[in-house]
Amino acid sequence: MKQPGGDTDEIRLELPSRLDMLSIIDKVVDGIADQLSFEDDDKDAIAISVIEAGTNAIQHGYGLDPSQCVEIVFRLTRDSLEVDVRDSGPGFNLSLVEDAGAPENLLKPRGRGIFIMRSMMDSVSYDFSRGGTVVRLVKSRRDGAAHEEPERNVPRDPAN
Amino acid sequence: MIKINRRERDGVVILQLSGRLMGGPDAEQFQKLIHDLVEAGQLRVVVDLGPVSWINSSGLGTLIAAFTTLKERGGSLKLLGVSRRIEQILQVTKLNTIFELHATEDSVVASFGAR
Repeated sequence: MKQPGGDTDEIRLELPSRLDMLSIIDKVVDGIADQLSFEDDDKDAIAISVIEAGTNAIQHGYGLDPSQCVEIVFRLTRDSLEVDVRDSGPGFNLSLVEDAGAPENLLKPRGRGIFIMRSMMDSVSYDFSRGGTVVRLVKSRRDGAAHEEPERNVPRDPAN
Repeated sequence: MIKINRRERDGVVILQLSGRLMGGPDAEQFQKLIHDLVEAGQLRVVVDLGPVSWINSSGLGTLIAAFTTLKERGGSLKLLGVSRRIEQILQVTKLNTIFELHATEDSVVASFGAR
């Protein structure tokens, strides 16, 4: 869907709250990152991060309840990819999240999701204001240049 | 679901995982297998991640729990066949300082030394 203003494409995905759905996220992210010509390392970073956000929504937001739905919105701009991952669960206290990179936490089996997202994306922010949790992930293209526009199906000038 | 193929070479247990490593029931299945190995006195374990397409933080937690279980009993767990993408996660989480990574089966088996 083209957003008002013209330069942003928006893709919406609604998935049942099941861990096996994370593979679909992986495939969709791969296709979108390809569309924006992200480099391989950045494509991996985006996929890893969106999978983490989806994992948190499914496991912590919904407690693995498959009747619930995780909503993911991708916004493709000329310079970046912005991804919102939304659940309507109870939310959490961001200030209580430990530093997973600290030596004393390295061998803890849990608590790395947010750390991974923050390490791999340019921006990670949370919105708890509308009930539930929305995590917004942003990755900019490294060169800062506008991505190549996909070829449009427009009539050719017969003179060319 | 993760699939686990188990075999042995020179006294080293090689667990080849395939699919996605993402916690949930997979974690319980894997942890039970590690406990069974420990109970059987098999403390030299390699996890081959070559066929694993991706891993999330829950999957990392599964590997860490296995690593800790073995280490507490004097054993060790090493990783084989780590893809670029999984290595990226291990680096940002600094778990590449915890896990010993090997590119080949010969290398990882030899690293345990003679029995």
